[in-house]
Amino acid sequence: MTASAQPIAVSKIPREGKEESQFQIVLRRFMRHKLAVAGVVVIVIMFLGALLAPYIAPFSRDAVDIAVATRPGPPGTMSSAGQIHPLGVDHLGRDLFTRLLYGARVSLSIAFIVVVISELFGVVLGATAGFMGGWFDTLISRLVEFLLSIPTLPILLITASILIKTDAQLPLPAFVTSFVSWMLAAPPQEANKVIVLMFILILLGWTGAARLMRGMALTLRNQDFVEALRAVGASNTRIMFRHIIPNGIAPILVNASLGLAGIVIAEATLSFLGVGVQEPTPSWGNMLSTAQSYMFQHPWLPLVPGIPLCLVTIAFNFIGDGLRDALDPRLKR
Amino acid sequence: MKTKKFLVLALLMVLALVVSACAPAAVPGAAPSAGSEAASSGAEEYTTPHPILSDVRVRQALAYCIDRNALIASVYPYVEDGSELLMDSFLPKTHWAYGGPYTDMPMYDPEKGKALLEEAGWTQGDGPVRTNANGDSLVLKFTTTSAQFRQTWSAVMIQNLAACGIQIIPTYAPASWWFGDTTGLARRDFELGAFAWVGQADPAGRSLYACDQIPLPSNNWEGQNYMGWCNPTASDAIVKANNTLVRDERIAAYHIVQQEFAKDVVSIPIFQRAEAEAWSSNLTGVRSDPTEYATTNLQEWALADGGDTIVIGMTQEPDSMWNLVSSMAAQRLVDRAAVGVLYSQYNYDFQPGLQGELSTLESGLAVNEPVEVTAGDKVYDATGAPVELAAGVKVIDSEGNEVEYSGEGTVKMNQLTVTYKLKPFTWSDGTPGTVADMKLGVDIDCNRDSGATTYDLCDRIGDIANDVTYSDSELAMTIKWLPGNQYPLYHLYPFNIYPSQRVLSDGRVLADVPAAEWATLPEVAERPLSYGPYMIKEWNKGQSIVLEANPYYDGEVATPNVIYVFVADTNQAVAQLLNGDVDYLDDSTWVQAPKCRRSSMQQRARAMCSTTSPLAPPGSTSTSTCSPSRAFVREAGCLE
Amino acid sequence: MTAYLIRRLFQMLIVVFVVSLFMFFLFNIAPGGPLTGLQQQQRRITPEEKARIRAQYELDLYWPVRYTRWLVGWPQGPIVINGQEWFAEVPMGCYLEATPEEGGGCKDYVYLAEMPTLHPPIKSSRGILFGDFGQSTVVQAGRPVWDLLASRLWATMELQILSLTLSLIIAIPLGIYSAVHQYSKFDYTFTTAAFIGSSMPTFFFGLLFILTFTILAGRIQEVWPWWPTLPPGLREAVRPYDVASWLPKVQPGSPLDRFLHLLMPVTVLTIVSVAAWSRFLRSSMLEVLRQDYVRTARAKGLVERLVINKHALRNALIPFITILVLQIPLFFAGAIVTETVFAWPGMGRLYYDALNRSDYNIALAFIYVTTILTVAATLLGDILYSVVDPRIRYS
Repeated sequence: MTASAQPIAVSKIPREGKEESQFQIVLRRFMRHKLAVAGVVVIVIMFLGALLAPYIAPFSRDAVDIAVATRPGPPGTMSSAGQIHPLGVDHLGRDLFTRLLYGARVSLSIAFIVVVISELFGVVLGATAGFMGGWFDTLISRLVEFLLSIPTLPILLITASILIKTDAQLPLPAFVTSFVSWMLAAPPQEANKVIVLMFILILLGWTGAARLMRGMALTLRNQDFVEALRAVGASNTRIMFRHIIPNGIAPILVNASLGLAGIVIAEATLSFLGVGVQEPTPSWGNMLSTAQSYMFQHPWLPLVPGIPLCLVTIAFNFIGDGLRDALDPRLKR
Repeated sequence: MKTKKFLVLALLMVLALVVSACAPAAVPGAAPSAGSEAASSGAEEYTTPHPILSDVRVRQALAYCIDRNALIASVYPYVEDGSELLMDSFLPKTHWAYGGPYTDMPMYDPEKGKALLEEAGWTQGDGPVRTNANGDSLVLKFTTTSAQFRQTWSAVMIQNLAACGIQIIPTYAPASWWFGDTTGLARRDFELGAFAWVGQADPAGRSLYACDQIPLPSNNWEGQNYMGWCNPTASDAIVKANNTLVRDERIAAYHIVQQEFAKDVVSIPIFQRAEAEAWSSNLTGVRSDPTEYATTNLQEWALADGGDTIVIGMTQEPDSMWNLVSSMAAQRLVDRAAVGVLYSQYNYDFQPGLQGELSTLESGLAVNEPVEVTAGDKVYDATGAPVELAAGVKVIDSEGNEVEYSGEGTVKMNQLTVTYKLKPFTWSDGTPGTVADMKLGVDIDCNRDSGATTYDLCDRIGDIANDVTYSDSELAMTIKWLPGNQYPLYHLYPFNIYPSQRVLSDGRVLADVPAAEWATLPEVAERPLSYGPYMIKEWNKGQSIVLEANPYYDGEVATPNVIYVFVADTNQAVAQLLNGDVDYLDDSTWVQAPKCRRSSMQQRARAMCSTTSPLAPPGSTSTSTCSPSRAFVREAGCLE
Repeated sequence: MTAYLIRRLFQMLIVVFVVSLFMFFLFNIAPGGPLTGLQQQQRRITPEEKARIRAQYELDLYWPVRYTRWLVGWPQGPIVINGQEWFAEVPMGCYLEATPEEGGGCKDYVYLAEMPTLHPPIKSSRGILFGDFGQSTVVQAGRPVWDLLASRLWATMELQILSLTLSLIIAIPLGIYSAVHQYSKFDYTFTTAAFIGSSMPTFFFGLLFILTFTILAGRIQEVWPWWPTLPPGLREAVRPYDVASWLPKVQPGSPLDRFLHLLMPVTVLTIVSVAAWSRFLRSSMLEVLRQDYVRTARAKGLVERLVINKHALRNALIPFITILVLQIPLFFAGAIVTETVFAWPGMGRLYYDALNRSDYNIALAFIYVTTILTVAATLLGDILYSVVDPRIRYS
């Protein structure tokens, strides 16, 4: 499901820059990767669209218009009130452009929340495991091994389909629901269903970061500077959070960027197969699923959610690629 | 014994309403508050009236505010005049038991609806949602399945109600939850809910509208009166309607129920679901009907171009060819042609098939005579359960009155004795049908190990071994039903017939195989013998079922070969029809009827365009006969 | 090495056990299944009737009991030692639940002694560990799951074998060529294309193919009858059909018909794996080309082609073997998404149907076999890796 992050050896980037800071070096290198820059532009545009969806959407998200001339209707269809639907309407006469914007909000929010949480989770667990060793390390390593050795897509499908069927309401604190609800620009009970989906994706998604971070911590903990810090009297927590984790941030960033693409695809695939985000919450995946039913009569229909979906996944992958080149000069082609 | 799934669906929106035991007046009781797992909550919750919906004015206002025509237009864009799909009762207008019109059922009139809401104390303030004197908002939760079809019309309905100041919070639950046996509807976990009832020739309805059929925690959620509607007049009438065999009496009783139903507005009939089917212009002889499966007359179907193979597209694959354990429509579509038809059910009524004559009282094959029963006799009681007569048992006596048995003396009850006859026939392997085949049918269908969903009919016979007698000279059996059993469909052959002499692949004879094994036998579940026009030649799992003409069928077969193909989804199915790969598409395919496009080849274009819609006579094309409950797809797109 | 193998095999067992237990638990809490819609029929369903139907699907048993019965076909009844029945009175499930008015709880327990009658061996599985996958409940009511799986297996294999072979034939030369000609125009185009290919969602690929080669081609054909179209799905047609005006009607089941139906799904699968594999091969080749021994070989004046074929290629392919081995489970599991998009009657499609229709015995059997294959493939990959690369030692 997730784009396979190739193993990358990352060393501590030497801080020697007199004329430019480390950030500037990375930025300069990143800018050289033209496609990655294009990726950033695409993502920024999509992001703005998603963020501003409630303000720039010409119609309301679920506004049904059954009096519209044709359903589904091609771009430029007039609504019954005389407004123009820039990307046409779906089978219910809902404005596709509006739903596309809200769909972007849903799809991107899911990707970001899932990736941020699972990377955080993975980083902390991996760093602790690598740094502390012992039984905790064994436990985490076995868990990661376990999660990596199960068939991901079938398990993802089966879990999602069952949890979706149960109409499960996770017992969540209100602020979580309202935060996700705000992120998705969707009512709380819709957000609740999406949280179930995100939960599944996080459960299977944290292993990559944990493995990377564990490896990093294992190499770093025996280095001299850690010994020195210990001698100075720094606590384990301090060493871990101030020195070990920051050192491993580079590969984690690359992993996260590729992970974003992976989660966008995973969510779209699940929604396409009917076990992900459920109508009426729009997501690119379930819009494609609906479009598929009508594509024989309206061939343009799947392209409306399909093109942005592809653009975003490709853009995230290119950004990841660019970041890798920029952060790790040794792998530069 | 055969459970039937007929195709006319009345789509009702069910309001969670009245509850508790039979209240003296039709005082609305309670509805569960949606959300919590209902099983664990106390019974009290289900006997407190719903704060909003218990007011009949609110229910009427809901009905006034929903524009049914717009709903119909949203799901059936090709139906030009939707008024024939409108309903004002729980029965379709063409049903023999429909006695309407019932003008008490409010139709679309938002102004009246708003006035009623004002009257009920729900006033429109500054906001879009009405509030009452306590400051509560008029917000209702609405639950239905996530099917696209339902989401479509409910989106329109939500807008309609919002215009009246009623806010609806929709929940599109998975069908497995909504129709699950311990969740959703079965646990009355809703405020407003929507689902469809399958229409059938016998309107039944006892378990839906009688007072003692309200599912409650205290009765282990038995019954299907999800609304919690308890109106004594209606309740008595529905019981009476199901306790007599005289059609006029039944019509009168159903009329009362329907009147009360309209007055109380316990459910709002939304519209009749028009199940659309489509076939190519090349195919002739298709007879479309609201209550019978189209393939029942498959032997009359022919291809105009002289082709010898008809291809039928289905979106579902049968789970088993044994109709005792399968209740899928897909199974019936194959079964009707490739196993046979004992009787058919066209147009809400019955016609003989292999059962040469329906065993009605009029035909003389059935008698309904009063018998004296006494304590210890097995009878069919007033609630519809087989019991031993003892003190306190309530039964219906021969006068049609409900009486409680005192424990002594005798009661006069009606007992049906019916003779069922079959026409002489030959199985598709050449062996003639015998009385032993009929006996095997009774024995297997009533064997508790067979895996059937219901033994309802068997339970109406006291003792299968003695009360069913078989003729020596002809294909006939006589069943003595329990006293008190006044089953309205008594005249139909009640069980299946099986080829008792069929030799299985392992050398055994079918009659010797224990019932528990039957469902696993390929000879039963995959390649049953046939007495119908066709027989199953091959079943390629996941792909197709191939039929060939049954050489021993007593009648004409117009087209010798039929193939059922399982098309994964609508999208594929439409493509297949357009390509000319499929001649007929079953109903389920068309639920989200897509528009036609000008297809790639000229003759293909004709295939779609000439399927007509009698609901919306296109003017140019001819209109075929059809019941108003069904729409044929006529694609406006073809005329572009 | 032996100790390592034993440890891994032991781990494998645990993984399979945990996964199946977890899935079983999930199914236990999921609504639906064979009883869905029972309440929707217009007739009275008594609690006894419902209990009987529940018992038909073993739903009356507690789920851990169901699990052991599913896994090893035990317990089938009381344990008999020397003619004496033990544990006969241990409740294994609840046949009929009591109403709250009756005090709640269970009205009628299923005791171990009743198991042989209530759940006779003929209707239950001998245990999936012994190769009995049980019976399907919804998709093919009452039929053995294994028959159903077997009937779909060949369709999946066909698709996978073809696309695997094609992908190998294309990916290896492509990856090598582009590595050898690093920084060339070809390399640049290729890496970008492969990158885009591997980051597109498969199902959209599938939709695009149907869109282009069936729908749009169909419209073009209206104007130019010679333009060919492709069937949008299924494995074979049921009646003769036209592809293009210059071709005779294609007969259903003929090799040409098979070929036409295979064309789109195989292409989609091939593109996806070529994109991923060739990228992998390219980078592993680049890695090898930087190695000292390649430099030495070149320095010794060996012909470049010899250097590549003899020294570099072999070493570059070693890590690729592990990736290939990981494809093994796909021969059973198929490509769920691609099979669904193209309505291919294979395993993945069956699994998807089984999930949609809550046929949990099929879904469980599928997950069980797939998990075993995945775990075994991972192990095999690791072992192979140590075989071909002696530097790697497991302990």
